[in-house]
Amino acid sequence: MRRYLLALLLCQPGVAASADSQQDLIRQGEYLVRAAGCVSCHTDPDKPQNFLAGGRSLQTPFGVFYSPNITSDKKHGVGGWSDEDFERALRQGVSPDGSHYYPVFPYTSYTRLKLEDVKAIAAYLRNVQPVPQANREHELPWYLFRWVMLAWKWLYFQPGEFMPPADRGEVHNRGGYLVAIGHCSECHTPRDEMGVLDPARYLSGTKDGPEGESIPNITPHRQTGIGKWDEDDVMYFLKTGALPDGDYTGSLMAEVVDDGTRYLNESDRKAIATYLLALPPVENKLLAKKKKKKKTVKDEW
Amino acid sequence: MKTGNRYLIPLGLAAALLLPQLAVSDESEDIIKYRQGVMKAIGGHMSASSLIVRGKVSYKPQLQEHAKALKILTSDIPSLFPDDSDFGETRAKAEVWGKRDDFVKAADVSKQSIADFLAAVEQGKPDAIAAGFQKVGDGCKGCHKDFRQKDD
Repeated sequence: MRRYLLALLLCQPGVAASADSQQDLIRQGEYLVRAAGCVSCHTDPDKPQNFLAGGRSLQTPFGVFYSPNITSDKKHGVGGWSDEDFERALRQGVSPDGSHYYPVFPYTSYTRLKLEDVKAIAAYLRNVQPVPQANREHELPWYLFRWVMLAWKWLYFQPGEFMPPADRGEVHNRGGYLVAIGHCSECHTPRDEMGVLDPARYLSGTKDGPEGESIPNITPHRQTGIGKWDEDDVMYFLKTGALPDGDYTGSLMAEVVDDGTRYLNESDRKAIATYLLALPPVENKLLAKKKKKKKTVKDEW
Repeated sequence: MKTGNRYLIPLGLAAALLLPQLAVSDESEDIIKYRQGVMKAIGGHMSASSLIVRGKVSYKPQLQEHAKALKILTSDIPSLFPDDSDFGETRAKAEVWGKRDDFVKAADVSKQSIADFLAAVEQGKPDAIAAGFQKVGDGCKGCHKDFRQKDD
């Protein structure tokens, strides 16, 4: 019975808060932390044993950010945070001390989280192994003060829980929710010079992705996106990282698969596939970035 | 036999050091094209194997041929990345050369997983085949994660 209950919960995170068992809530939170893609950024790939202890560097056009510790360590992590602290951080981009997060922390996407899912994530993070690892200061240009973020938020941040469109089915909307909290858009949608996502080119890829990488178009455009993929191709990709042509994803997306999407259950992977393949196709051909390094002349002997 | 071995090792080392040197000069751009060709061939067999393993097509008897081809094609991946083939039209990260030991280790993991997969196919055990194929995929992804620039 317990197993069925858990399976039901995994399929329906929305009902997690009604579970009477704290353990189930924690399990639910763990699933959501995977689904929301928290692990890759908050774990230093060189120190995988320090799970969720932060310290991973993120190269962006706005500077170098270092992810913070989100283990249950009371001093450096989030062990002392209340549910309300988590709600403000995840859905409003405000830290417990009242300062504003840089949007490299994708609260712009996490704002779509349902409140009960925030509570599940909070329950899980307050229970992960504490790692006493201190946080590292970001390396940013002088003008990017935290208070500048308030202005940025005032201009561009659109807070609010995910609102499922009424004319779409449940599976599609579940997919939309997972794509929103999985913050796929943060990498796959092109940004303007203020770092704001362009809604007209939603998920159509960009050559200016994180760490200078080119990020593919995942709208169902036949020539430049994933229009030739079927639902099973998307589901299989999310589980294994395999592309339909036999190639395997690499670099950042391999991390996303390894740390996140491969943990998703079948119905959630199906929901994501349903949602992505129903998006309006956007034509956006991304030319491969090639290294410019020149050949050096060598002495031959 | 013992004396013979003593000479074989330095000879082998000299050959190993010399061969890439000879290969670089004019051929290096062609080496990049060559390795991309080999990688595409691997991808082709992976795609075909995947469709069989997932039961999407009924070419089961062919699986062994694909597994054998994968074994041959991945027998020495590091040799596809000699020195001085790190410029121009390539997505290979600098780490391929900068963290050579890790790269060789990752290639070895793939090689072993393909040997295990082939063995499972030869024994015809469906569970072992599925698990084995997943490991092969993990090997590809593992290497691409650390050593190939994103852009797929």
